[in-house]
Amino acid sequence: MMLDSSAGALGASVEAGLLGLELTQVQWYLLLGTAVAVIGMVRMLLTRDLVARLIALNVTGIGSLMIILALAARSAESADAAGSGPGIDPVLSALVITGLVITVAFTGLGAVLIRRIEGFQASGRRDDAESGGTAQDPEAEQ
Amino acid sequence: MNAPMSLTLFCLGAVVLIPLLASALSVLLGSAARRVLGVLTSAAVLGLSTPILVRVTSGETLELALGGFESPLGITLRADGLSALFLAMTAIIGAVVSCYAAARPAATGKRLAAQAVEPAGATGGDHRGALPQESPAAWKSGHAGFWPLWLGCWSGLNAVFVSGDMFNTYVGLELVGLTAVALVALGGREAWAAALRYLFIAVLGSLLFLIGVALIYSVTGTLDIIDSGKAISELAAQGEADLAAVVLALCLISLGLALKVALVPLHRWLIPAHSSAPSAVSPLLSALVIKAALFVLLRAWLWVAGPLPELQILAWVLAGMGTAAILLGSVMALRQSRLKPLIAYSTVAQVGYWFLLLPLLLDPETNALEGQPGTALEDGAVLAGALSGTVALALGHGLAKASLFLSAGHLKDLYGTDEIAELRGAGRAHPMLVMSMGLSAVGLIGLPLSLGFSGKWLLATSAVAAGHYWILVVLVVGTLFSAAYLLKAVAPLLVMSEDDQTALSLPQAKTHSDPSDKTLTGKAQLAPFVLGLLTVLTGFLGVWLTGVLEVGAPW
Repeated sequence: MMLDSSAGALGASVEAGLLGLELTQVQWYLLLGTAVAVIGMVRMLLTRDLVARLIALNVTGIGSLMIILALAARSAESADAAGSGPGIDPVLSALVITGLVITVAFTGLGAVLIRRIEGFQASGRRDDAESGGTAQDPEAEQ
Repeated sequence: MNAPMSLTLFCLGAVVLIPLLASALSVLLGSAARRVLGVLTSAAVLGLSTPILVRVTSGETLELALGGFESPLGITLRADGLSALFLAMTAIIGAVVSCYAAARPAATGKRLAAQAVEPAGATGGDHRGALPQESPAAWKSGHAGFWPLWLGCWSGLNAVFVSGDMFNTYVGLELVGLTAVALVALGGREAWAAALRYLFIAVLGSLLFLIGVALIYSVTGTLDIIDSGKAISELAAQGEADLAAVVLALCLISLGLALKVALVPLHRWLIPAHSSAPSAVSPLLSALVIKAALFVLLRAWLWVAGPLPELQILAWVLAGMGTAAILLGSVMALRQSRLKPLIAYSTVAQVGYWFLLLPLLLDPETNALEGQPGTALEDGAVLAGALSGTVALALGHGLAKASLFLSAGHLKDLYGTDEIAELRGAGRAHPMLVMSMGLSAVGLIGLPLSLGFSGKWLLATSAVAAGHYWILVVLVVGTLFSAAYLLKAVAPLLVMSEDDQTALSLPQAKTHSDPSDKTLTGKAQLAPFVLGLLTVLTGFLGVWLTGVLEVGAPW
């Protein structure tokens, strides 16, 4: 792609032995981020264990933030080639930081919900009878 | 000129910040004070949204850089026609549902309260005091956590609608998503699993959207919606520029938002989440939370991406999914025996209508027909018609579905069940509830006069003008289906028959609803009725809507 010229100038290319392709550092991290995000997503959609799903969602989040960081570094690389580069793009870094904050928020919310669901399962169905027949398994509707 | 202008700009910031402030403040208050604060805030937001709508209707696009910091690092708020319309719908529905929730605290959820052992912990309404290990605990209706969550959600919705750049849109969407999940979880134990599932889907959708936004930024160098739209159309005009990244970004954004809006193959989470949520929450989820994702989708397709021919396949795929949504959602709605899942499936079906316009945007022949002699089409007439039709359908759906979910939830609270078979003849005892269900059914089916009718009419005429006759077929089939499933839901409630013994043996108010709960029969029933009435009355606004949408339109 358009990175190839700047890559040579920077000398930051990484030999990816895999396909004999020469990847720049940025491309390498883009690929890595994509792989992490996809792996997390697949795991999240396939597993039934709730905690594992939450962790997988976190992995997906980290993967997507890695993609964004690599994109931030990409714009820095092209800026360097032009002779004036402030380094990593600040706007995309701000995006990543906000993304991290949101990751913490949803992990907390998910953990609370999982704790309640599994807490009830662990404490037995003892109080099922008390709360009446209105309780229905939402999964059963499909 | 200057003074009223700055007042309107103040309103633009305040519609986001005042609910947020009220949300934070309400955490410190007791449950009665929270209700007062909630109603006051909703009145304030209604009052603040009005000048924005008036000002935008007069033809101005409002823009405010918060704190004077300009675009790249500051936060820009912008209100054009699309924003003002969604803002107004949210204000109306939000205010009515807030009043309902204040009048009927029992509708805001269920909480585990320790019985008389620790009265202090119980009145706090805090979920931490109610662990399952504390055995003398019982489910009590009413959850004061509703207010901070709903006000936070409202702030997020308004932030999405007035956001000037894609990243604040993302933050707003996240705020809406997380508070919506917590609102679902207020529904008690049976709602928790649904809420968790909703959390996974909502966050996954946001992450995909975020990657898309970052890709668009890396191509255009700006997050601002209008600037990036300009940059992309310049790139497209240059011809040789590689727009693969933009197409990929649009794919990711569309997929992420389709998850959030529950487009058909991705719709399974919606049914348990919307039907197990408390009575005051389901209308908010269905009428407003989904609209936030729809709004962003329209922004991304019309304002950011513009008519790139490379997007044609994606547009057809999404329109195909929309068609599938209308058919599958309707069939599944017909197969339900309970009121709230039926209404939830009808949401799935209605979502499909909003995606039908996408192929119209990109068809090169559409633009070729415009402005030529013999066709009475002005420039952008097809697009304007399709967009205002879609927006009218979405707004009409918001009003109608809020009313329908409110009445259905109210009936469920009254009789302790929402099995349609057991609610036969409920219209005799509660004419106003069933009347509002009927009115909102008129809106959802799209019978003349309602906003739904205006929307379908606008969409159909622009589809015919562009030669996309298949949209007409889909609209007609969808209308017939929606008439079928809504009749299935409403007709049994209207049975008055003296000859049928079973009709009169309604189940008594029982189980978790307290028979002495006066609020069930009181003024709270007015809330769904007002919304149902609005569904029908707003039908006259079709033409006005098209005019408002012209303000700040991308063509």
